[in-house]
Amino acid sequence: MRKKTFILIGFSFVIVAAMLFGCVEEKVQGPTEQNFKAPIVTLNTIEVAHYWGWWYFSSKVAPTKGKAGNYGAPLDLAFVFDIENPNSYPVKMENLKFTVAFEEFDLNSLNSVETQWIPAGKTNQLRVHGMFDGRQSLMSLLVTGGFKLKAKGVGAFDQLEKWWVGAPEFAFPIHAREGSAVFKADGLTKVVAFSGTFPK
Amino acid sequence: MKSKLLVFMVAIAIIAGFFTMYSCGEKPEEKAKGEVVVEKINIGALNDMTGATSDVGKDYALGIAEAIHYINETGGINGKQIKLHQFDYGYRIPEALTKYNLFKHLRCAAVLGWGTGDTEALAPTVARDKMPYVSASYSGHLCDTGKTPYNLFFSTDYSTQVRGLITAWFDKKWPKHPDYGKRKPRIAACYMFASAFSSASIKAYKDQAEMLGFEIGSDQDVSLFAIDTKSQILALKEFKPDVVLHTNTVMSVAATLRDAYALELGADHIIKNWGFDENLPRLAGPAAEGAIGCAPWAFFGLDVPLMDKVVEYAKKYNPGIPVEKRTVHTVQGWASVLGLAEALKRADKAGSLSGENILKNGFETMKNYEIGLGIAPVTFLPSDHRPMSEAKIYEWKDGKFSLIAEVDLKERWPEKWANEWLGW
Repeated sequence: MRKKTFILIGFSFVIVAAMLFGCVEEKVQGPTEQNFKAPIVTLNTIEVAHYWGWWYFSSKVAPTKGKAGNYGAPLDLAFVFDIENPNSYPVKMENLKFTVAFEEFDLNSLNSVETQWIPAGKTNQLRVHGMFDGRQSLMSLLVTGGFKLKAKGVGAFDQLEKWWVGAPEFAFPIHAREGSAVFKADGLTKVVAFSGTFPK
Repeated sequence: MKSKLLVFMVAIAIIAGFFTMYSCGEKPEEKAKGEVVVEKINIGALNDMTGATSDVGKDYALGIAEAIHYINETGGINGKQIKLHQFDYGYRIPEALTKYNLFKHLRCAAVLGWGTGDTEALAPTVARDKMPYVSASYSGHLCDTGKTPYNLFFSTDYSTQVRGLITAWFDKKWPKHPDYGKRKPRIAACYMFASAFSSASIKAYKDQAEMLGFEIGSDQDVSLFAIDTKSQILALKEFKPDVVLHTNTVMSVAATLRDAYALELGADHIIKNWGFDENLPRLAGPAAEGAIGCAPWAFFGLDVPLMDKVVEYAKKYNPGIPVEKRTVHTVQGWASVLGLAEALKRADKAGSLSGENILKNGFETMKNYEIGLGIAPVTFLPSDHRPMSEAKIYEWKDGKFSLIAEVDLKERWPEKWANEWLGW
């Protein structure tokens, strides 16, 4: 009888000790400056989400309805990113932004501010849409890439047409560059740089 | 006996389990500590990252976002955090009006705006809504509080810039010209006629040039997208200007300087702030040598108060963009945010973040307020929103920007400053 009592008391201590050990282990694994590993952002794919072909009307053309203006075909691209959390705790992504370049020409800057939690050790996906309107892209191309176009001996409209017509077949490289994403875990902040090209 | 043992073991396991849950789990008071609900202040931002002024707008937009991070990480607005709603409107006025309506629905306390066209178009609306609107348009039209009471900015206004540029050239360069004392100096301007931004200070330019005794040549229409300006330069050659004023953004200014250099125009160039940045010598090469411009803020990375933070946050929040690519426009973005944040702090202490309180007990309490970043002290009067009367004039020479003059218009022409020049 006495032997059994000793066994029971010993067993109780073992269980409590095991639980406490587990508790200590769990607390050690919370976010700290030292153990907060940078999440990994990778461009998975780019999709032509919506497509209207290529056209451009100047303000001199009378429209059937509505007001005349300088209008270029829109091109809706979707950029899908894999966001991998290598930590043993969840992290929150607060912001992701990047510049889009068609070949070597910067054409758009995109930003996603919707927050999302990424579970420990898991990979989320994020879709960011970019609207490339033909008129706006023309202006962007001219003010940021005008000299490069001149050096190539290519007109801005010719360049845009080549891209808009070639987009469905991904006939040219599209870059997501100068990217940065802001992650938070328990008040700690980690900013991650990324870039990617499609087709790969 | 066996069943008693089993019950005992289960009981021990349950007790241990509860104990562990209590000791390991987050206690309510700890949870409260970790998840303090912080009051947020919504701020809207309209930026051009893809449109006609994206050559300078992208870097400004980056500066806005980085400065907001800085404010939030250094105590926020008296403990309240700013939530920034930043949009690229592509320099399209209809898009700007649409986004402004969104800002109202989001109950934004203030807006950080961008261009002259949309800022001037929105001015009556923001006045009616009592929405403080800090723009990157520094148009003199926005300084008359009788017309645009809720418009503000942290820079020398365009008209004061242009008056300062002409005066500095007249004081420093004209006396060294071989024809000095023999004839009137000749001046002409290159800008996009159809752009509200480019033409905002043309009336002030002509007034100042006339006052100082210049002969004024025909204006040349140079698009913001121009990469070839030979016809305009050839037209200028007939007038033989001693100095040419540029009021476009940097890309078309660089194109004009290149063509003027190639066609040997032989004039000096004076440039409003948006055409005069670190990219000008990169784009114009040797044609930029000797170019003179107005820069109300220090260039990126110069040794002035708070610049260390500007550089630190650029590296921290945009690690994918080399700091060598950053420009004075980032510093401008910081100036707008720091100025707005100071107004919000003052208004908050005075009782509320209503638009009227932000204006009256925030901005309009600033008297010679020092932001840092190399900007002259800022004063907003209820009757006059010209933030400063000083134009800082730099010259690009031997691979660096050198400060060559600080023209204080108010000090030099106090009567005209007080009674004639407000609002245009």
